[in-house]
Amino acid sequence: MPELSDPFRTLTGSALAAEGVIDVRGVTKTFGETTALQDVSLSVARGEIVVLLGLSGSGKSTLLRHLDGLDRPDTGTVTVLGAAVSRLTGRPLRALRGQVGFVFQQFELVGSLTVLENVLTGALFRVRGPRLGLWGYRRALKLAALEKLDRVGLLAQSYQRADTLSGGQQQRVGIARALMQNPRILLADEPVASLDPESSAQIMALIREIAVDSDLTVVCSLHQVDLALSWGDRIIGLRHGEVVLDTATQGLSKQNVMEIYGRVTTSTGELDAIETELGSAVDDEPDEHGELDEHGELDLQTFSLARENRR
Amino acid sequence: MTLTLERRPHVADAAPPVPRAPQRRAHPEKIAAGLTLLALVVTCVLALISVDISLPQMATSWSNATRFFDRVGVISFPPLPELLYLTALTVGLVLLGTLFAAFFSVPLAWLAAANTSPGRGWTAFARFLGVLTRAVPDVVLAMVFVLMFSLGTLPGILAIGIHSIGMISKLFADAIEQIEEGPRLAIRAAGGTRLQEFVSGVLPQVLPSWVATVLHRNDINLRGSVILGYVGVAGLGLEMSYAFKSLNYSLGLGIALVIFALCVVMEIVSSAVRTVMLGLAPTGRGLGDRLLRRLGVTGQNSKMDAAGQLHRPWDYARVRNTVWGGLAALIVVGSVWICDIQWGDFLTVWSYLPDTASQFWPPSFGAYGAPIMFAAMGETIAIALAATILTVLASLVIGSLAARNVAPTPRVRAGMRLVLVTIRGIPEIILAIVLIVVTGLGAQAGTIALAIGGVGLLGKLLADSLEEVKPGPQQALTAAGATRLQVYAGATVPQGLKALIGHSFYMLDTNIRAATILGLVGGGGVGYYLLNAGQGSRYDLVMTIVLMILVTVVVVEGLAMWMRRVFR
Repeated sequence: MPELSDPFRTLTGSALAAEGVIDVRGVTKTFGETTALQDVSLSVARGEIVVLLGLSGSGKSTLLRHLDGLDRPDTGTVTVLGAAVSRLTGRPLRALRGQVGFVFQQFELVGSLTVLENVLTGALFRVRGPRLGLWGYRRALKLAALEKLDRVGLLAQSYQRADTLSGGQQQRVGIARALMQNPRILLADEPVASLDPESSAQIMALIREIAVDSDLTVVCSLHQVDLALSWGDRIIGLRHGEVVLDTATQGLSKQNVMEIYGRVTTSTGELDAIETELGSAVDDEPDEHGELDEHGELDLQTFSLARENRR
Repeated sequence: MTLTLERRPHVADAAPPVPRAPQRRAHPEKIAAGLTLLALVVTCVLALISVDISLPQMATSWSNATRFFDRVGVISFPPLPELLYLTALTVGLVLLGTLFAAFFSVPLAWLAAANTSPGRGWTAFARFLGVLTRAVPDVVLAMVFVLMFSLGTLPGILAIGIHSIGMISKLFADAIEQIEEGPRLAIRAAGGTRLQEFVSGVLPQVLPSWVATVLHRNDINLRGSVILGYVGVAGLGLEMSYAFKSLNYSLGLGIALVIFALCVVMEIVSSAVRTVMLGLAPTGRGLGDRLLRRLGVTGQNSKMDAAGQLHRPWDYARVRNTVWGGLAALIVVGSVWICDIQWGDFLTVWSYLPDTASQFWPPSFGAYGAPIMFAAMGETIAIALAATILTVLASLVIGSLAARNVAPTPRVRAGMRLVLVTIRGIPEIILAIVLIVVTGLGAQAGTIALAIGGVGLLGKLLADSLEEVKPGPQQALTAAGATRLQVYAGATVPQGLKALIGHSFYMLDTNIRAATILGLVGGGGVGYYLLNAGQGSRYDLVMTIVLMILVTVVVVEGLAMWMRRVFR
């Protein structure tokens, strides 16, 4: 159980870092005037399921993009699976990206292509040259893609156009596409922010299930505290591009998290914003009327089941 | 510090500050652009006066028309087999030219689009190449290629092809710039190469728009192919020019009628293809699906495991795509066959190249001298400007009434759309020939022909743009009790204004080149000298004229780009 009186980087530098598959050291990134990441250091061990928590604009997406080499740090290093992502280019970078699956908030499917064709694009780093549609993929790859679709429960929709699916279904396709890479790490950027609560719960449960089954390391950004607490093993809180919280979720309550945010936040206006966006109040009464909370509870059961399985 | 203390009461004594509305500060560049636009409109009006369009004169020339039609007598056609062959040849030649352009436009568009280009320099290079190919009229290209290749279809195909690259590559690039970046990013995140990003992430998104562009350009090229006949490119245009040159008006008008019908048919076919292709995603419940299910061809695969799904079921969408794809391939193969391309020319052409090139350089004004040529170019520009302003005015009325959200009744909209399709079907050159007969040689005929022809395109573009405006503001005004006209002026037009400015400059751009070409048949301006120089083999003069056109088009293009940027 982490010591809550010292919320800052409780677990950094601990034994977990020894076999870390992700290692971020002193990363700072600015876009023009705005500082997206400020001296961020963290490391993630193999098989960990980590939630990046923070408001929009706190640097979650930027951090995730750094882990896949989609952004490069101004200073500092990013090491993923033993490779210095921040210095890779060309073929080695693509090879590393192949090992890292990425699930997007807006799914990012090509709407005019079929579901199967979209999933197959996840295998592009394994083939030479371009592919349009289904042409030119080996039978084995097609079969593998269909199996991934079966895994996410969309086998029957394989030949439908992607834009005819519901949001939840499209995100399943996004997950299948990431799985098509046979990744060792799965990054997810607000995977349920565009979905209704019910689909959200299903998608989060699916990601957790797959992560446990396939022994994946997962880094997933979220902005709902309830969901983060019930779903992740560890929470890393970001605020204005800085890590303000890094702790295991076990035994942590929503109130704890909000207190920590309260402590590092000086202006009350900002705290209000945090309260609104993280979906909670810092008062002592438990929030009983929020829709998210209901589902949060519902999730809790699924996730604790998944956790049991894991142990 | 003391100073401020002393001043404070003084300020308080002064008249209480009157609350003033904050002044809108216009950006200096915006003011400059606005003034330029105003100047351009004034120039257009002056041009309109200078080309001297007078209704009385047109009325008096009506007797010309009746005399002309008396002489035509009964319209006649070539024998049917010949007519069919010529039609197929024209369609095939135009199609191959357009496909040639589409093929080379893909890499050019990739370089030109800001989001796929490897660098700014490449963007500028590709855009410049596009402007260059667009600026040289296809007639000029055809003249050159007729010199270099043995007579046949190849000069026409290449002329159409190279000239079309400009527009097609630009629209291709615009489509690439409008894609959603997400799918591309997803492929990059999964370790895909740039080429894989393009083929799997960009291409599927732009394909419908690209096909629409190609079909649209094909329509334009079909109408334009008539004029190519005047410089010796095979097809209906050549036969028509022979007929008119030998004063066989009856046959000439007959062929013109066939061309008109062909253009309308192609317009309908291509808009049908566009609708099918851009249509909504298949639901699986349509007529075709039900039919296929009844035939037992389609349906879900019974085995619901991965291996059972390995082959795509023959659902309606797949059958439809296969049928259309097969048909398209068949048409292309047929086009190659009927055009009987002399492939050997591609080998022999290189030996002619230095000789041909030397005939074009150095450019000179020939026997006419610079003042005459500049005056002629000025007249061409005046025709284009005058035609553009007439087109804009007419399109505002017809195009607005053809928009679903402006037209008072669906019937009015349908009627106006029909008018626009009909106008688009008439090749400007035929319009010009008829008008020249009616009003006599000169700028007047060219201007009116261009103005009428332009309405077909600008009216359609404007109607489409107006239909695309956000419905919210219109509903808000309607809800506030505004009249139909108030809604139109207060909500619809302001939203469509940017598109109108953009389209109008596009019109001006096309009109400058079209004005040149109309000169070939006696529509006034520099085109007349161009044809003369070409027929008299004075290619140094051709070069001079081409350079003048080039400069004008580049200037207009630059102005248009600036306007679009400022009034964004």
